[in-house]
Amino acid sequence: MNTKLNIVPFSGAEDIKLHLEGVSHAYGDGESELTVLEDLSCSVKSGELVAVVGPSGSGKSTFLSIAGALLTPSRGEVHIGGRSLSGMNERQLADLRLHEIGFIFQGANLLPYLKVEEQLRFVAKLGRADKEQAARRAAELLERLGLTARRKHYPDKLSGGERQRVAVARALMNDPSVILADEPTASLDADRGRDVTKLLAERIKAEGKAGVIVTHDERILPYCDRVLRLESGRLREG
Amino acid sequence: MFLALREIRFSKTRYVLIVTIMLLVSFLVLFVTGLANGLGNATSSAVRNMPADHFIVQKDSDDRFARSALHGEQVKEAQNAVGQESAEPLGVQMTTVTRKDSDSKIDIALFGVQADGWLVPQTVEGQGLNQTAKGTVLADRHLAESGVAIGDTIVDSATGLEWTVGGFTENQSYSHMPAVWMNDADWAAYRSEIMAARGGEADTAYNAIALRVSGSQAEELRASVTDADVITKSQAISAIPGHKAEQSSLMMMIAFLYVISAFVLAVFFYVITIQKTGQFGILKAIGAKTRYLAGSVVAQVLVLSVGSLAVGVGLVLVMKAMLPAAMPFALDGGTILLSCSLFLAVALIGGLASVVKVAKTDALDAIGRAGA
Repeated sequence: MNTKLNIVPFSGAEDIKLHLEGVSHAYGDGESELTVLEDLSCSVKSGELVAVVGPSGSGKSTFLSIAGALLTPSRGEVHIGGRSLSGMNERQLADLRLHEIGFIFQGANLLPYLKVEEQLRFVAKLGRADKEQAARRAAELLERLGLTARRKHYPDKLSGGERQRVAVARALMNDPSVILADEPTASLDADRGRDVTKLLAERIKAEGKAGVIVTHDERILPYCDRVLRLESGRLREG
Repeated sequence: MFLALREIRFSKTRYVLIVTIMLLVSFLVLFVTGLANGLGNATSSAVRNMPADHFIVQKDSDDRFARSALHGEQVKEAQNAVGQESAEPLGVQMTTVTRKDSDSKIDIALFGVQADGWLVPQTVEGQGLNQTAKGTVLADRHLAESGVAIGDTIVDSATGLEWTVGGFTENQSYSHMPAVWMNDADWAAYRSEIMAARGGEADTAYNAIALRVSGSQAEELRASVTDADVITKSQAISAIPGHKAEQSSLMMMIAFLYVISAFVLAVFFYVITIQKTGQFGILKAIGAKTRYLAGSVVAQVLVLSVGSLAVGVGLVLVMKAMLPAAMPFALDGGTILLSCSLFLAVALIGGLASVVKVAKTDALDAIGRAGA
């Protein structure tokens, strides 16, 4: 069994899993340059769930892409799980995403042709994890997220809430440092949205991950430890 | 493989349809290949199976044995140049015979050779050619289909000469006619009858000289022989009446079938890949490498092609067993293997566009998307 699994408490400021320092990003070049993020800094500690809210066009997607190692910022530093992203090539970034970041997307975005259990085994396989260990990890996650009865089902036989729970399980499967969720409740009704967020918050605390939810769904904010507001490219605590 | 096989399992109908199309195309490729080989054998096996590598024919005969006439002097000249052992005279004449006491005519190709030479094909039944047994010939087994058995006498329609079939050989056809082999004494007798009927032309003893020589010897000979030309075996084969026309049209069909299968696969996989662009974006975002995803596409192409090829080969073998013996169809293991590898190569080329598409998909697409 993976020992990292049982870490519950976090030990203060030293245990920062996600750290952005002076990050700016601009699209285009020269005169038509459009600055989306400006001098943005933030840290997320182990076991902490942070919500990033803001109106559309405020740069939420860009923020998430940069924090998720999908986009290299024009300026500034990103650290994930204690490692700096600057200077990494495509392959190294893909490896980092695989092992250190768990993504939860707007729609669940599961592969339609894999059964629930296989969705998890697939990411473990991508990460070259030991088969037996992966099977145990998958069984445990499905148990915790109340999906054990559904493990042999294809995504199209699941409800929206169940699908998003599978996505949460998939994000956690490779035991990453950081969980990034992109509007995870956008396609769910209020109750299901709250359920999924609650489960996500539980797992993040239980497993000591750093969680970031980008959302405009105010109803889920009570489950988050901190709320950051992104307005015209600047981040402020609120 | 993990994704490739599970996707096929999930979308069975879709993949069964494409396998069916590929199966039909591969079956057709193998069948037409077999037919081309069979027809090729029917027009040329008597020449193809000769242990010769070059032939001397008369100048301006268009490489055709039937149009070529060489006299005894030229045979001696060639034998002096490359050695008695390496040059053997060959007479070729198409004619019509009847079985004695029967009226039905049979087209045959007469081959006049030295009975103790290396041009004589192997006897599979009865007795072979013999220098002293006058009037005894060795016939291709296909002659038996026209009702001629060992010991039967056949009568030449043009000259009235009679020959006794002493034995059978196999795979000796010339221009869709069974070959009948006779010794040079019988050949000389036959020629003189023909010449007498035509009215005293010069002595044209043979049609060609078969050579067993190296390329450089052939070059030397080409320069030295008078009023004659040295051609390769493949030149001689493609000059056999009907051979080139049959082979080139069948080859064109086969080539088109390969091109068609490449395009069918390319379109199928490209459309599927475009449908899945969102999925590929998500997969790249969660850390799948382009190589893994491209490998998955290639694995699918391979699984589908190998599957349809296996069934296609099976069907062709069943078909081959059921075909009537008279149907010219020849397909050996080597040809099947070659066709299958060519088909696989073509299938992989077809999958290339999809691989490029996968490589171009950006992981950033995954953010801000509602569905895959």
